[in-house]
This record gives sequence, C-alpha cells and structure tokens, in this order.
Amino acid sequence: MNGVLVIGSGISGMSAAIRCAELGLRVTLVSPFPSERSQSVMAAGGINAVREGNGEGDTVSSHIEDTLKGGAYLAGEKEVRGLCEGSGAILEYLESVGTVFSVDENGKTAKRAFGGQSHRRTYYCGASTGKQIVSALIMEVRRFEAKGLIERRLWSCFYYALIADGTCHGALIFDEVSGKLEALYADAVIMATGGQNALFGKTTGSTQCDGYTQGKLFLQGVRLKNLEFIQYHPTTLETGQKRMLISEAARGEGGRLYYEDQGRRVYFMEEKYGNNGNLMTRDVVSREIFLAKKDVYLDVSFLGKEVIKKRIPEIMELCAKYRGIDITKEPIPVAPSVHFFMGGFAVDSFHETNIRNLFAVGECASIYHGANRLGGNSLLAAVYGGFTAAQEIAGRTGEYKHPGFDGYLDRENDLLAKKGKTASRFPVAYIRDMLAKTMQNDLGIVRDGQRLAGGIKDVDYLLETAEKIRYDSSVMPYFNYSLMGILTLARAVLTCADFRKESRGAHFRSDFPETRDGYAKPTIISYEGGKYLAGLEKEDGG
Amino acid sequence: MKVKILRQVHPGSKPYWEGFIYDGPTDISVAGMLDHLNYNDDIINDKGKATGRIGWECSCLQGVCGACAMVINGVPSLACETFLKDQGKDEITIRPLRKFPVIHDLVVDRSAIHENLKKTDIYIGEWQQGQDRDLDHQYLAAKCLKCGLCLEVCPNYADGRNFYGAVFANDCYIVSARNEKKSESIKNSYGEHFAGGCSKSLACVDVCPMKIPTLASMAKLNKKM
Ligand SMILES: Cc1cc2nc3c(=O)[nH]c(=O)nc-3n(C[C@H](O)[C@H](O)[C@H](O)COP(=O)(O)OP(=O)(O)OC[C@H]3O[C@@H](n4cnc5c(N)ncnc54)[C@H](O)[C@@H]3O)c2cc1C
Ligand code: FES
Repeated sequence: MNGVLVIGSGISGMSAAIRCAELGLRVTLVSPFPSERSQSVMAAGGINAVREGNGEGDTVSSHIEDTLKGGAYLAGEKEVRGLCEGSGAILEYLESVGTVFSVDENGKTAKRAFGGQSHRRTYYCGASTGKQIVSALIMEVRRFEAKGLIERRLWSCFYYALIADGTCHGALIFDEVSGKLEALYADAVIMATGGQNALFGKTTGSTQCDGYTQGKLFLQGVRLKNLEFIQYHPTTLETGQKRMLISEAARGEGGRLYYEDQGRRVYFMEEKYGNNGNLMTRDVVSREIFLAKKDVYLDVSFLGKEVIKKRIPEIMELCAKYRGIDITKEPIPVAPSVHFFMGGFAVDSFHETNIRNLFAVGECASIYHGANRLGGNSLLAAVYGGFTAAQEIAGRTGEYKHPGFDGYLDRENDLLAKKGKTASRFPVAYIRDMLAKTMQNDLGIVRDGQRLAGGIKDVDYLLETAEKIRYDSSVMPYFNYSLMGILTLARAVLTCADFRKESRGAHFRSDFPETRDGYAKPTIISYEGGKYLAGLEKEDGG
Repeated sequence: MKVKILRQVHPGSKPYWEGFIYDGPTDISVAGMLDHLNYNDDIINDKGKATGRIGWECSCLQGVCGACAMVINGVPSLACETFLKDQGKDEITIRPLRKFPVIHDLVVDRSAIHENLKKTDIYIGEWQQGQDRDLDHQYLAAKCLKCGLCLEVCPNYADGRNFYGAVFANDCYIVSARNEKKSESIKNSYGEHFAGGCSKSLACVDVCPMKIPTLASMAKLNKKM
C-alpha cells in the first residue's frame, strides 16, 4: 500500500484525511502552509444541516429542494440528496470533535436564517464558523498524526499528477525549502485545493486559492465542470489589499442600498422589488448594483449606535479598521466582488474524476451547487465530500502497482532549474495583474459574446507570452510555475461562459437574457489535442 | 517613506538589511505596502539598484489566518492590519519573527508550534461536556491563529524546546474544557511545558490579535494542578 495523498488542508482536505485514517488508511496531507492559513477559516456565516427534531418543521426534502432550486436545477438530485441526508450526522460529528457551536438560551445549538432557504437551518459559531470548525479538525488530525496514520507535509505544493493509462498513481510535489520536486506515490490522490481567486485578483477570499491545480490537471486530461458559474457577493468594501465582505447581516438588520442622483438618494432595490428589495438573492442584488453604473452605498447609520454595536459589531469594526468609516454616521461604499466558485473538477457521486484514483473535494470540485450555491452549503459540502471520497477509497481493494515515473522527475527538475536560472526578472505578478483585469472586465456579472471573445483573445496572448518568459528567481518558485496553470484555467472559464448561450443562476448574458431548455445540463470542458472543448454533460458524465 | 527590511535569501544564508523608498498611498496596511513595492516594474532599493522581490506570507489579508506575522517598527504584529498612518513616523523597519527559523526574507517556519502540541497529545478526542460551561472562553481560545506573536514577545520562550508558551496553554485549556476525561492527563504536560516556566510577564495577552484571555485559561488550568 502506498497510502492516500491529500492535497490541500482546509476543511475538505482535513475531513478526507481524518475519515481515511479512521478507516485505517495512511495519509500524507500536503499543503504549503498549515490549516490555520486556509480559506476555510474565513467562513463566517455558518453551515447548513437538518437535524431530527429541529422543532421548526424543516425536513431533508426541503433542504434538497432549496439546494436544487438555488442551483437552477443543474446539480444532480442523487448527489444533493446524499449531501442533505448526511447533514445531520455531519453536524453531530463536528460537535463531537469539539467545535464550539453557538447555543440558544436553552443551551441548544443555535440556527440562523440564510438567503434562499425555506427554513432556518444554518448552524453557526459566533462570527467565525469556519475558524472554529478548522480548530476542531486540526486537533482531530493531530490525534491521527500521533497514531502515525496522518503525516502533514508543509512547504509543499502540487506540481502535477502522475497519470498513466487513465489512472493516477501519485503526484509530483515541489518542496519550497529544498527547492526540488519530489514524487509521492499513492493508491489514491484527493485534490482539496479550494477556489480560483487568483483569476480575478482581489476577491473576498484567500490568496492561496489560485486555481493552479484545476488548470494543470485540465492540461493532463482531467475534465472540468460548470466553470462559468461564479458567485458574486453584492456588498463588499474596497480596501488597499483586498475586497472585504460586508455580510448580509447588515441588510438583514435593515440596511438600505442606494445611489445618488442629482443630490437625491435613490433606493433602487426598494423601488424595483418593494420593501424587501435589499434582501433579494446575491445574484439579483449584484446585477442591479452593476446595472446602476453609479457609486452604490449601504446605509445602516439610521439603526443607531446601540443596535449597530449589538447586532453587527464585526461590520462596524471592519469598516473602522480598514477604511476609517464610522458606520453609525456614514454610509458604506459597496460593490460586488467574486466570492465563490461553483465550477471545478467534474466528479462522480464518489468524488472521483474521469481519471481513476484521482478524487476532488471541497470548493475545487463541482457537484452540489449547480448554477449557484446557497450560503452555508459549501462548508457542509466540504466535510461531506471529504468523507465520501475517503469511504470510497477505503472500500476498494486490489494490488496497486505504479509504472516507473523516475524519468519524469529528473526531466521536470531540470526544466524548473533552467527556467529559474536567469538574470531576467520578469514579474509573474504583472501577468497575473493583467489577467485579473481581463477577467474582471470580460467575465463580469453581466456577460456578452463580444466581450467574452475579447477575453479569450487576451488570455491566449498572455498564455503565449507566459510560455516564453523566464522566471524571476527572487520569487517563491511556486508563484512562478503556477502561472501557466492559472492562465489555462482562465481560458477554460471564458470558453465555458462563451459556450453557455443563455442566462441561468449566476451566469447572466445580456445577449441571451433568457433561460433556455436546451441548456438545462452542466457544462463539461476537456482539453484535447491543444483544444478547449466545451459541451453539455452527457448521460455517462462525459 | 523609508522602509528598512531584514532580508535573507535562503534558510541558512546570512541576513542583511536593505532599504527601500516607498511612495505609494499612505492609507494602507504594511501588507498593502509590501505588495506595492513588489509590483513595481523592477524592484529598486534605496541605492537605486535592482534587487529581489520581498518574500512574505499572506492568505486572508484580513487578520484571521495569522500568516503575515512580522516585527514592524519593533512591534510584533500582523502586517495586514497594521497601518502606515499609525506608525507615527516617516520610517518603517520590518524584520521577520526572531523566534523561528527564516525560510526566506519575512517568511518563517513556525512548525514548532504544531510539533509541540503533537508531541504532547493536545487534542480533544471526543467532546465530553464537563464542568466548564464557559463557551465564550472556549470560543475565544479556539480562535488562536497559531501566528506566533505571543511567542515572539515572551521572555521565557526561546526555541520551543522546553517551554511552549501561551499558544500551548490555550490549546491545553480547550482540551481540558471540552474533554473532562482528558483534563487529568494533560495536567502533566501543561505543568512541564508551561506552568513551570511562565514568569507571568503577560506580554502575550497584549500582543494577541484575537484577544484570547490567556490569563483566564491559565487560572482555570492552574486550579486543576
Ligand atoms: C469571506 C468568506 C466567507 C465565507 N462564508 C461561508 C459560510 O458562511 N458558509 C459556507 O458554507 N461557506 C462559506 N464560504 C465558502 C467556504 O469558506 C469555502 O467554500 C470552503 O472553506 C472551502 O474549503 P476547502 O477545504 O475546499 O478549501 P480551502 O479552505 O480554501 O483550502 C484549500 C487548501 O489547499 C491548499 N492549496 C491550494 N493550492 C495548492 C497547491 N497548488 N498545492 C498544495 N496545496 C494547495 C491551501 O493551502 C489550503 O490548505 C466563505 C468564503 C469566503 C471567502
Ligand atoms: S494575511 Fe491573514 S492575518 Fe494577515
């Protein structure tokens, strides 16, 4: 047995590693930095679950229906059913390993209401649900580390997968300390590398989620799915370093969106959608803000200092700290920002990709959220996906033999060294910056064929340039070699958005504003003979 | 604005100071400033010579992941929530945390934190509701970023060989609060690697970006001793 290789140590990667270890498998858990630095710690709002005896008439069926409907019926019913049916047990599991959930006045785990859901089913831990779950899972991983079943490898980045004859046998890992590539053989590899933030520059998420693994594996023949579906969060605050999320709670407490027109405040959401207009779903609010083509503000000041301090203290602190804005007196300037990626590796219900023994879980995989994700479902999916993949791997038997990949290692080590040995300092950051501008402009909230074609042309040019440049040797090598993968993924995302000639969920096209029956299936993209081939999913998942 | 950074190319190589002139916006954080310096065409030092880009670590850029801990104008801080305008002078000096081995420039290897917790079996196992029902305290303790700032300012923490510091004490508290059965068995590690060595300077409490009440954690654990 070579054991299991898990790439990425956020909530999904840790969940996979823990379940594998529980089932007696040996795991190597690879990530450049410890789990405390993963994007998972940033999740604030909560995790959805339906527990028996919830006392509010919520049922697994309504969770399933909400999830399918939220995703514009692109997600598979069977998979979503599994996710929702598993949610109660997952909540209990997280509690049992010590997650500090918030409780109500009766000492029962508390729930809050989240957008797009028929019942209150979002369990939370104060204002840091993701962080509290991560802290508990880290302890649990540590328990298996002590038993010798999980080994953490830090300073290690994915380079590429060792694939032969449609089967994955492990991965090449770049060690940032030794500066060398290393081959890690495994019976199964689980990708858990999160979203694709780097494609867009500043987003609400972590700089560590760059989409490289999706781009690189795509070039190695792995199919990707639903890449055009990208969730924008309508209310984020621009700062010098990133776009900060201003949570829905601000609008939930009564916050009002407006722009100014000839000295008059126009409460555009209320004018168009009535009193509850400010609380419309994320995609609708984002689109309206975009279409307003004006500076939009979110006002909560009228709620008064007392209410603000009591109900939304994190928002008050965030605006004061990063922008010096006193929200008890001034409005918050807001704009939509890229927030979540529904698309990623195409996987079956066991989380396996089209390459045998290569699995994907968490935000890097595309399976449960269809064309749009419900808040609170991604943390659930991260744990559920991790468990599901582990269970499947543990259930497999057979002799695993890997063909020799030694030649690969030497060749790639040489290649990397050559690219780095140069006086030229071409900053990869520049190309990444140009890419982000292209993606923000041409793959925004409202898309059209002409812009998408322009975007594809620009990214093709960047790909051509990136192929020729040498690496700036003063930068961490991963930052350099990841560029090609990131650009490739961007090209695939644009291709999918161009392919889907309709509007559905988070994908809105001004040239095809209607939802069309002919497109009621997920998009699958593959790379064959140097071509990006997008199409609708076939019955066999291909 | 003048910026001085203590740099180091590789784990074993010699550290050296290098100066830069920063002329970007001043209403940003040190993280924003480092990004700004790195994003120029060529990165030029204050002698007008081209040099290597500055290495530093980040992830969340909003003070919740602990990646960007470094020493800024003598104060151990998170770069993404330390602002230029609050520095009170036109010069800024940055160095990596001193208590950890340097990997590259401002990037340090903090794995000793995790290794020490691993060696001493600091994990909950199975949650057993015990006498400690102070969920607020448990919640705050579980917010620990493992950023290492508390160790940087601690007069007793050297290299983590014997004394493990506040970060260790808080995780011990969580385990003892969330698993009553285990609270007995971690007493020894807590005594050996924390209580015995702590001189209560409490600098760790002031520097903690999550405002974890370490003193309260200690008080509860000491009671069990
Ligand atoms: C501000 C914010 C708030 C959110 N709030 C909520 C919420 O309330 N509820 C909810 O359900 N969801 C929420 N989400 C979404 C949710 O946080 C993510 O979907 C989820 O945490 C993803 O977990 P993950 O394990 O898939 O990936 P991540 O936690 O992103 O972990 C990815 C891991 O992969 C590693 N990695 C990346 N690239 C490589 C590589 N090349 N080689 C090796 N390792 C690599 C990283 O270092 C990291 O360890 C929120 C997201 C954001 C940004
Ligand atoms: S980058 Fe996360 S704390 Fe600064």
